[in-house]
Amino acid sequence: MTDQPRPTVSVSDLRKTFYDESRGEVHAVDGLTFECFPGEVFGLLGANGAGKTTTLRMLSTVLKPTGGSASVMGHDIATEPEAVRKSLGFYSASTALYPRLTARETIDFFTRINGFPREAVDARVAELVERFGISEYENGRVDKLSSGMKQKVSIARTIAHDPPVLIFDEPTVGLDVMNALEMVKVVRELKAEGKTILYSSHIMSEVEKLCDRIGIVHRGRLLALGSLDDLRGATGEHYLEDVFLHYVKEAEGIAGEAEIGPMGELEEGVVTGRGTQAGEAGGAPHP
Amino acid sequence: MNWSQIGILYRRELRSALRERTIVVNGILIPIFMYPIMLWAMFTGLTFVQGINEGFVSRVAVQSPPPPAHAAVLDSLRARDDVEVSGAEGEDGDWLQLLADGELDAVVSFRSLPGDALPDNFSVDVHYDRAEERSRRAESRIRRIVSDYRTAWVTSEAESRSLTEADRTVFAVTGENVSTSEDIGQLLLGQMLSFFLVIMVALGCFVPSIDTTAGERERSTWETLMTVSASRTSIVTAKYLYVASLGIVAGLLNVAAMMVSMGAVVRPLLAGTDDAITFTIPWLAAPVMLAGAIALALFFSAAMMILAAFARSFKDGQAMITPVYWLVFIPILLGDQTDVNLSLGSALIPIGNVTMMIRDAIGGVFLWEWIAVTLLFTLSLVAVLLLLARQILKFEDFLLGAFDGSFWRFAKEKLFA
Repeated sequence: MTDQPRPTVSVSDLRKTFYDESRGEVHAVDGLTFECFPGEVFGLLGANGAGKTTTLRMLSTVLKPTGGSASVMGHDIATEPEAVRKSLGFYSASTALYPRLTARETIDFFTRINGFPREAVDARVAELVERFGISEYENGRVDKLSSGMKQKVSIARTIAHDPPVLIFDEPTVGLDVMNALEMVKVVRELKAEGKTILYSSHIMSEVEKLCDRIGIVHRGRLLALGSLDDLRGATGEHYLEDVFLHYVKEAEGIAGEAEIGPMGELEEGVVTGRGTQAGEAGGAPHP
Repeated sequence: MNWSQIGILYRRELRSALRERTIVVNGILIPIFMYPIMLWAMFTGLTFVQGINEGFVSRVAVQSPPPPAHAAVLDSLRARDDVEVSGAEGEDGDWLQLLADGELDAVVSFRSLPGDALPDNFSVDVHYDRAEERSRRAESRIRRIVSDYRTAWVTSEAESRSLTEADRTVFAVTGENVSTSEDIGQLLLGQMLSFFLVIMVALGCFVPSIDTTAGERERSTWETLMTVSASRTSIVTAKYLYVASLGIVAGLLNVAAMMVSMGAVVRPLLAGTDDAITFTIPWLAAPVMLAGAIALALFFSAAMMILAAFARSFKDGQAMITPVYWLVFIPILLGDQTDVNLSLGSALIPIGNVTMMIRDAIGGVFLWEWIAVTLLFTLSLVAVLLLLARQILKFEDFLLGAFDGSFWRFAKEKLFA
């Protein structure tokens, strides 16, 4: 009998309910349960508004859950938020950099504020500057950098304190193809280093390429969870896009070949695959 | 609360701030240079205008001459270099129309008083235009000339009757100013420094409070900050201390710059005049000013940050705080009431109390019990604002910027719903 590795992220019946003036109570996250392990890229796949970002915000303790529980590296997100945040790095399109700091100052700040051992900060900053090829512009102000340079600094600041768990929430939104590919490459490297990575996206090709296991989220619920092969086997579909639609149709009670749409049913979400959305790394369909 | 993290966050805020032109200009350059330059320009301008006014020759017409026995008064008028008597007395002329048209500065009528106990007695009517500076000056010159003539005439008449000045005066009122040039300097400094200190502390807090709240949202760095391992309390404390410290620095830099400029600019301008002033401040006033600046900075920072935190952009933040900034001017005017000292009642007027406390201290008046009440009351207000901020921070829609509205709407819909 082999030892099962201990999960780095445990989510159990996690819920988040908002009150919206026009819609009343909205169950943004409705009883999610999953676990993630070291060296794994765990993908959360869902349309916009499916509850992915809310889930990740709860895991990063930006939001408080209204029900259920979750822990990161054994720290409860409700009772030990600082310890949780110290154990993870959070990257998303909405987490910008301080424009008036230099690239080096930015990395230095995030290394220190996240509790990296003080005596090792300089070496860590130098290591990250070297790793991401930032040295040429390390003393340049962030607001003067190109978007590609900013992206590198952003990734460097996310992993500055060497956290065991990393959250990437729609990390390629707004990036051009080259930068999106660079992002995918970095995620693979981090996985190889044994990091646990929660990767949220609505871009099928990225999820197909990167994720060891995929959780399909729709209307705050986890519709399916497993490796790509597991999901293919369970649905009889080959392309992830079709797998995704299969589960969503099932959840919506839509029979056979009926179209899901006009996506209003997915809370105005958009699911992209096979390179259908311009400017995104949606590349080629899965073979 | 982790003070090490607060230190890291504070340094990050400060480093960013010192690279922002608006903050450097408002918090450092204006306090140091703006008001001393303004003061210098004001005094120089006043002196210049005064010189121009004094150089004016008053154009005066005499509508009717004095009685012949007092013709000398007219000679005195004519003898002056700064008075030009246009037209001869008794000549026809529409003098009042010329005065109204600005062609003349004053029209003088010597009017005999027939039947008066004193033979050849007369009165002088001066027509002038009060709306015109040079006309007011002409009236003043004529009044002085007539007054000097009267004094000389009365003295001469008294001497001819062997009356001494004491006989003639019988009793006299003399005034003696017991205040020293230092006292007057302290009065002026008390009014000016207390006013500018409060304004500068508020101005020093103004831009940083917006930059660290609304600016953070506008730049999308708010969520980045929410995901670092520092606690919310540490993050907010660092931001608060950063805003307050810039307010204190702005206030104290302004005081130092004003002191230097008063000595270097105003004193030389007044030297040699009757208004010679010595600018000194009692040593004990320094800690009172510092305590006042700190209390005010804590108050302004808390109030401005709470309001600006609801803004989505720097521009919105400015719109939300600007009315509060202007409101500050109302209680400050209490500092101008030099005959009202700090008391229990005035110690409970926010901002006005600190203004009066600083003004009194500069003037050497230390009412310690009311100083204590002032500081305690201001710090109590700060505590109330911090408790309010703590309540607001509990709302996630506020934290994530999902709430769309001002503080007042938030208070109505969420806090006191």
